[in-house]
Amino acid sequence: MNKKWYLLLVLALLAALALVACGGGTTETAVEPTAAPVEEPAATEAAPAEEVAAPTEAPTEAPTEAVEPTAEPVAEATEAPAVVEPAGTLRIWADDTRAPILQDLADEVLAAYNLELVVELKSAIRDDFQVAAPLGEGPDIIVIAHDQAGTLVDNGLLATVDLGDKVADFAPKALEACTFDGMLYCVPYATENMAFFYNTDLVETAPATWEEVVSVGQALVAEGKTTYVMAVTGTTYDAYPLYTSLGGYIFGKDDAGNWNPEDLGIDSEGMITGVQWLADGVANGELPADWDWANNHALFETGEAPFIMAGPWALGRFREAGVPYAIANFPDGGYPFAGTQGFFISAQSENVLLAQAFLSEFIASTETQLALYEVGQRPPAYLPALAEVDDPDLIAMAAAGENATMMPAIPAMGSVWGNWNDGVVLARDGKQDAETAMTEAATKIRDLIANPLTGMVNVPGSYQAQAGCPGDWQPECAVTAMTMGDDGLYASGPFSLKAGDYEVKVALDGSWTTNYGVDGAPDGDNYKFTLTADGDVSFSYDPATNLLEIVLP
Amino acid sequence: MSGLVVDKNKADRSRKEAPLTRLIFIILVVVFDIGAFWFIRSAVNLGFTQLVIIIGVITVMLNLIFLIPKAYPFRWMAAGLSFLILFTIYPILFTVYVAFTNYGDGHLLTKEQAIPLIQKVTYLAEGGKSYTWTAYKNDAGAYALWLTDPDGGTFIAKPGEAIRPAKPGDPGVGEADSSGIPTSLDGYQRLNGLLAATDKELPNIKFGIEGEQGVQIRSPSEAAELQIRYVYDEATDTIIDQSNGDVYYNVEGTFTTRDGKTIKPGFRAVVGFKNFVDFTTSPALRGPLVRIITWNFIFPTVSVLSTFALGLAIAILYNDKDMPFKKVIRSFLLIPYTIPGLISIIMWRGMLNPEFGVINRALESWFGWAPAWTIEPIWAQTAILLVNLWLGYPYFMLITSGALQSIPSDVYEAAMIDGSSAWQSFRRITLPLILVAVGPLLIASFVYNFNNFNLIYLFIQGGPPIAGAATQAGHTDILISYVYKLAFESGGRGVQYGLASAISIVVFLIVGTITLFQYRFTNMWEEVSENA
Repeated sequence: MNKKWYLLLVLALLAALALVACGGGTTETAVEPTAAPVEEPAATEAAPAEEVAAPTEAPTEAPTEAVEPTAEPVAEATEAPAVVEPAGTLRIWADDTRAPILQDLADEVLAAYNLELVVELKSAIRDDFQVAAPLGEGPDIIVIAHDQAGTLVDNGLLATVDLGDKVADFAPKALEACTFDGMLYCVPYATENMAFFYNTDLVETAPATWEEVVSVGQALVAEGKTTYVMAVTGTTYDAYPLYTSLGGYIFGKDDAGNWNPEDLGIDSEGMITGVQWLADGVANGELPADWDWANNHALFETGEAPFIMAGPWALGRFREAGVPYAIANFPDGGYPFAGTQGFFISAQSENVLLAQAFLSEFIASTETQLALYEVGQRPPAYLPALAEVDDPDLIAMAAAGENATMMPAIPAMGSVWGNWNDGVVLARDGKQDAETAMTEAATKIRDLIANPLTGMVNVPGSYQAQAGCPGDWQPECAVTAMTMGDDGLYASGPFSLKAGDYEVKVALDGSWTTNYGVDGAPDGDNYKFTLTADGDVSFSYDPATNLLEIVLP
Repeated sequence: MSGLVVDKNKADRSRKEAPLTRLIFIILVVVFDIGAFWFIRSAVNLGFTQLVIIIGVITVMLNLIFLIPKAYPFRWMAAGLSFLILFTIYPILFTVYVAFTNYGDGHLLTKEQAIPLIQKVTYLAEGGKSYTWTAYKNDAGAYALWLTDPDGGTFIAKPGEAIRPAKPGDPGVGEADSSGIPTSLDGYQRLNGLLAATDKELPNIKFGIEGEQGVQIRSPSEAAELQIRYVYDEATDTIIDQSNGDVYYNVEGTFTTRDGKTIKPGFRAVVGFKNFVDFTTSPALRGPLVRIITWNFIFPTVSVLSTFALGLAIAILYNDKDMPFKKVIRSFLLIPYTIPGLISIIMWRGMLNPEFGVINRALESWFGWAPAWTIEPIWAQTAILLVNLWLGYPYFMLITSGALQSIPSDVYEAAMIDGSSAWQSFRRITLPLILVAVGPLLIASFVYNFNNFNLIYLFIQGGPPIAGAATQAGHTDILISYVYKLAFESGGRGVQYGLASAISIVVFLIVGTITLFQYRFTNMWEEVSENA
């Protein structure tokens, strides 16, 4: 009985395997042949040449739907253009502002290019994309701000974009924001930055200095017209123009114009002065003690504060609230952060070329950019479209952001926000003075950005695996790290090695960035040595000359 | 003993199973196996080795259970066992595995995903030609390209044929349009750029003679003599840059040359105990960890005690039959339990806002003073405890009123006859009997609150910040919210699943030890099982 039973089991498994093998094969190959013969006659007879591409793209439902045309070929064929399957499909993820407008454009795209747009509304696009894209389930295109794209590029999830000759039609700053490692990764469509708002009922002319802001504000408070001198909507991004007007900054730039994570400005003098200014204002009641974003916008709308630093997102609510406002440049030449919204292409998309073509044909056009502008109320990044914008508020905002810094999209920025915020909060709440708070915040950030192996002197080479490292040529391997002796020389070893030929080099700080080869030459040739028999080898390094001495047995 | 008998009976029955039933089973198993096999195959392609193993284990287990008659009793547990393996054991194993990898920003993809991406990179060799292109297609679906080089020279390119110069109006070439591109080629129809791009294969087609350097489409505006830049050698696990001969070695999930050049993206790789070492040697441990752990114990202890005390008090109050409007008031008291915590926490945050909050404005107008809930550490902690009290008491009210009903009234009558006071009755009868019933729930509530990320994070993100801390941490941060900041937010270096997993293992060990200790110490299991 048992034997029969197992025989059955084996048979069942074999059957399963056979089925799977066939199934896998047929589903992949069978679809195209069945789809193509039926569709092709119809397409070539009646449809204009442009629909010829359809057969190769035939969706899986095609076979069942296509049965009808063969039954009544003539009648169907003449009406074919209207009901032809779209030649391609692009999935787009956008947030609640952009999704509806893109959805509206979908019909137009279908009519003009026979291309189906599937717009999906997402709130956490970057996070969702980070998870979905590696699994191959992400969209073809995402619409996000440029500063979110840095890590996506690092993770290999974005494909480059080619704008061809249209590059010249975009604001250079917007393109710069979308450029990572010298490659363009997005088609920008809008830039946004904050500006200085004042209540025209209470204040006649825009203040030119922060001192004027305070004196005008204090007078209004004294007259009982307002509660506060100014509304403050946040600690970091939102207060950045104040810090910059005093000389504060986040990262400096190196000679090539790239952000330099080594040059952190969180504890720069301007930053500290700015934070102290805010903290003093809170302490003497001129500024609100709580900087809740919505509440502080409300302070300006209700006339309780005559000044506010706000962005284009606030225009709608200010207009709705009916508060009389005007937009000005920041006092004392302060400048805000600028962000660029853009269309990015997934590197995992099967339609990279199509997505590129779609972006450069359709998104990089005046009509589309103006349509996006109508809804988003952000100045278009596409210059021909920008030329047609005549909203005085937006022009004023653009003027306030003329010297704006693009938000750094380098990974180090990820370590900045939270610590920066904590420093400002500690100073604002009077827990620490601004200098201590910002210095400590900067220390935390530097600890995170800095290479934890700074100061390490190592001799990476082909011997390291034998010495106990995970592999050879690892400048970060602690096992072979050198220690400094009293004589100022670094030494490591002895390592017992097998007979053979070896090559080594000197590397500093646990990486290859700084390394020395033969004769102490930076990026020089490898040192070579040979062991004729198994034996102990040690190394000695002189930091003054960068020379390595290899002590053989 | 009894279990054995049942087993035997079932086993006997299974032998007599009708052939039809068995056939159905086999068919079901085969169908399941097909599904599992398909799933495993696609998972293998994506490089999800662990998932493959887990699904494989489940599949083999189910096959054995349903096909071996002696495994009959397990059939009743088959679904449960599968889900246990898939949703409990697998995540645990996966977390442990991730803790030993560098999975996170920069190493998000698997090696199987990263290498094809790297291999896709092409380059234009020095002296290589680059053109703008227009595509044409004939009825057979073959393509031809009209190429224009930067000097204005124009060419026709077809797969398998040499690229030859051509001018609009030449034989077989249509007239030029306004931009100088022929409207048609002989037998071919012109496609606009977008339409041509709908063919996913187009970028892979080589235009030019077989075996020679051809032209490929790189982007909507460029076709060029592209060459594959990176070639992966599986045997040595290295990548060779064809443009300059650089050799990239696989160093912990990043292809790196000997002098430190790297190729993006990196991929997941096992890095041993690095995450644990990082956690212990980073400033994180020198920093505010002691303070955070202290608060991490105060918070759940006080929360459990206060919610239990308030819930019990209300339950006893409403256990009184003479209480008027009992049902209505009890319904109102249940409201906090019915509002999603997500909403009520944010609502409370608004009401407790020191500047604009309803509560603070009211307090200030009555007493001229209100606590600075989000600014002063002690008040922030108090606020968290109060909000959690509001969120948590209905649960214990429900549980304890149920338990109160089950205490027989004759016990109280006997106590009353013996002259016991109300307090004595409560202390000696009610509390011990209630504790027996809700004891395990108290521990469960403690463990839940120990990791109550929602409340801590939604209320004020763990703030207010601790002055002088070596890392980003706040006075109301508990371990789990602190880890979140460290591993996913700007407390650290971007998203680091590996580090997060390593720390969560440490947290698990802490929580596990506490729970074990509590169960041992209170002997609650024993009492409950005796009562059951």
